[in-house]
Amino acid sequence: MRRTGLAIAGAIALLAALVVGAFAVGRYPVSPGELVAVMQSKLFGTAHGLPATVETVVFGIRGPRILAALLVGAALAASGAAYQGLFRNPLVSPDILGVSAGAAFGAVLGIFLSLDVWAIQGLAFVFGLAAVAAAYAIAASLRGHDPILVLVLAGVVLGALLGACIALVKYLADPYNQLPAITYWLLGSLAATNPGDVRSTLLPVLAGLVVLWLLRWRITVLSLGDEEAASLGIRAGRIRAIVITAATLVTAAVVSISGIIGWIGLIVPHVARLLVGPDFRRLLPVAVLLGAGFLLGVDTLARTAARIEIPLGVLTAFVGTPLFLWLLATARRSWQ
Amino acid sequence: MKLEAHALAFGYRRHPVGRDVSLALAAGEIMCLLGPNGGGKTTLFRTLLGLLPPQGGTVTLDGADLRALPRREVAKRIAYVPQAHIGYFPFTVRDVVLMGRTAHLAAFAGPSRRDRELAEEALARLGLARLAGSIYTQISGGERQLTLIARALAQAAPLLVMDEPTASLDFGNQVRVLDQVTALARSGIGVLLSTHDPDQAFQCADRVALLRGGELMAHGSPGEVLTREHLRELYGVDVEVAEASLSDGTRRRVCLPAGGVPG
Amino acid sequence: MRSRRAFLAGAAAFALGPSLTRAQATRTVADDTGRRAEVPAKVTRVYAAGPPASMLVFALAPEKLLGWTSPVRPEERPFFPAKYADLPTLGRLTGRGNTANVEVVLAAKPDLIVDYGSVRETFVSLAERVQAQTGIPYLLLDGAFDRIPQTLRRLGEILGEPAGGEDWARYAQGILDDVAARVAKVPPERRPRVYYGRGPRGLDTGLGGSINMESIERIGATNVAAALGKGGLVQVSVEQVLAWNPDAIVTIDRTFYASVWRDPLWQNLKAVHAGRVYLSPNVPYGWIDFPPSINRLVGLRWLGRCLYPEAFGEDLRPFVREFYTRAYHQTPTPEQLDALVQTAEPRRG
Repeated sequence: MRRTGLAIAGAIALLAALVVGAFAVGRYPVSPGELVAVMQSKLFGTAHGLPATVETVVFGIRGPRILAALLVGAALAASGAAYQGLFRNPLVSPDILGVSAGAAFGAVLGIFLSLDVWAIQGLAFVFGLAAVAAAYAIAASLRGHDPILVLVLAGVVLGALLGACIALVKYLADPYNQLPAITYWLLGSLAATNPGDVRSTLLPVLAGLVVLWLLRWRITVLSLGDEEAASLGIRAGRIRAIVITAATLVTAAVVSISGIIGWIGLIVPHVARLLVGPDFRRLLPVAVLLGAGFLLGVDTLARTAARIEIPLGVLTAFVGTPLFLWLLATARRSWQ
Repeated sequence: MKLEAHALAFGYRRHPVGRDVSLALAAGEIMCLLGPNGGGKTTLFRTLLGLLPPQGGTVTLDGADLRALPRREVAKRIAYVPQAHIGYFPFTVRDVVLMGRTAHLAAFAGPSRRDRELAEEALARLGLARLAGSIYTQISGGERQLTLIARALAQAAPLLVMDEPTASLDFGNQVRVLDQVTALARSGIGVLLSTHDPDQAFQCADRVALLRGGELMAHGSPGEVLTREHLRELYGVDVEVAEASLSDGTRRRVCLPAGGVPG
Repeated sequence: MRSRRAFLAGAAAFALGPSLTRAQATRTVADDTGRRAEVPAKVTRVYAAGPPASMLVFALAPEKLLGWTSPVRPEERPFFPAKYADLPTLGRLTGRGNTANVEVVLAAKPDLIVDYGSVRETFVSLAERVQAQTGIPYLLLDGAFDRIPQTLRRLGEILGEPAGGEDWARYAQGILDDVAARVAKVPPERRPRVYYGRGPRGLDTGLGGSINMESIERIGATNVAAALGKGGLVQVSVEQVLAWNPDAIVTIDRTFYASVWRDPLWQNLKAVHAGRVYLSPNVPYGWIDFPPSINRLVGLRWLGRCLYPEAFGEDLRPFVREFYTRAYHQTPTPEQLDALVQTAEPRRG
């Protein structure tokens, strides 16, 4: 337990440093002195005497973007950790039941129909939930011996179908106007984050995370397998349904504002497991902190490293792949 | 506390395995279930635990139909010790045993200090205290099996169902596990275990049941049930049942396959 | 002009073998990449390989155009005479989103395939492939802004409308010269820095030298995104736009235009304060790009008016009326004209 405490303390410290750093850098020149002045002004109500733009940049642009990065990273990591335990498989990411494919289809459809930004996000959210509900319904109607396998297969098949639908919409879209917008959405980005985005995702993400936290012990026991969990007193099917709902809720909520961002749901839970073990009571908080920190770091890089915005989905893969390979090479014991 | 099967038919949806099985397990007694591979022992256990729905007949716990009881209640009364497996996740031995307390936890709570104490007691009782911090997936097969028994102990259920607890254990560990089972029964826990070895039944069982092709061939005390004729019918081999004296004067029956190397 | 090694006439003749069953007089024509092809002396059926080409062919010789590359949208129909709005949709052969089936192209029995736009290697090899496969001569014309008058002349000759081509070339040259002259009179300090925002959030823009930004560069304005380098389309953040603080913003996206006035994040821009956000008309084609063809000519004057109201002080309507009549063969109604030009004024309030 002492190791867990250390890991959590370390993660929080790292996160705080990343947040401060993220506020300090950006395309619009804000000197450290100006940053401090604006912060003080916000906290204590004093005047800062700087142009209004500075305040807009710090609290209207960077602030929401930082908060969004934290939410997205936390949600994807928590969701990944829950799914990996649920399906007892290290190769599982939150997309396995089709939530990302569904959300992508919803958003792409919204762009194709030239709807406004809120409608696009709303469609993404709704279709993300619907995709998982459909996978669940398909699995429930095919009562096989292994409910997990059937669920995964349904999710994979549905994901493939939605992928084909997305490809079709891309094909039919106006190549000058809609196609670039679709491509950018699919690559994942927080460049367009505004305060409204944060407001709309805060509640679903927190609600989902709270549910996962409340079920932390049951998720741990469920990772033994349905039968053993049942013999220990857990209603495996019901807990699984609730966990999937919560994980899908948080994933759909964040994907609707950020687009498709991979890798976080896959590697961050691994790293967390290496640090504190598979017990979900410890795994969840550590994964959440690491995920939030990782995505904040990557997003800060995405908006400052090159002259143009690097799409997040691309950068997480570039940063995540060597990390993942290193993990596989050095940390085999996590799966023995 | 009494677990009873009444004319139980069991199996999978399109693949029935057994029928017309009636037996009873009471607290404080040990029942051994013997039978050849594929005879339906594991399926029967799953049905007795409520993990598989019966295809006919009923399973009752103190007279109440098992299907009517919520999972938590069943778990508080019957604990399951499966065959020791490898497992996917590197939990510590302590964590594994702690999971036995799940049935006693409130809705969203994790284990309390009391639960941790009970887990430690279970570990100590089985002599696993020094292994408490080890990773479950890295200890030996025998130690894993003992860990699962400790978990069942922590579950504090009056009835225990054990699926071939001595399979793939070395001789020493086999003896140790059976000693533990005997000790548990003496402390008031009812144990139903399946085994391949009739000698184990002679060693610890109060009652024996023979399961062949999904049907109860015989059911009663070890002396009544484990006869040469029954064993030949059950396993298809010729076995003599002899009586031996131990050094402390007690007598015990043993099975001797006919046609060994003459001494 | 990029010159390439020309194919031997014999190879071209071999490639055209199947089409020689139609006994016609042919002439050898060179396109803008130096490729030569045998074109029938009298061209009556032209297949345009992409939207820029269809615009071009339609302007010069609408009766020879076999069809559109994508369906005419309802909001575009009022600008075309009905018989042209009803032309069939044949799909496009080049550019993103190829949708034409080569058999469809063949079934339309064109005398000639015309493509207008980029003359990079990819498109040259595509031209070769289609020409070899179908036996139909495939001509590639360079879509660069400066070459518009020459291209119009050249195409006029090819299509057998030299007078029409010459007339168009003069008209286009006149527009270009006029704009250049007026812009030259504007002192450098009055030339604005412009941000061109695409997409519903207005955060996609074109880098320096991209084909989408040619109009903006021609009008003497500075593309703020050119600071990031040369290239095509990229995505930027609001913070970046704030850092640039452009003098004016041009967009073609209605959603972005509607939201930019209300969004608190964009309020700090001087362009938004001054009301200098201009929504480019986009019917029947966009005026800045979408597609990058001769439609940019009318956009040039419009941009001039947006960005240099004194130098381009006169009413835009007569100019737009003339352009539309020439290019789309239908004179717009006064209501249509009003709707088209109204966004050239800075918005107050």
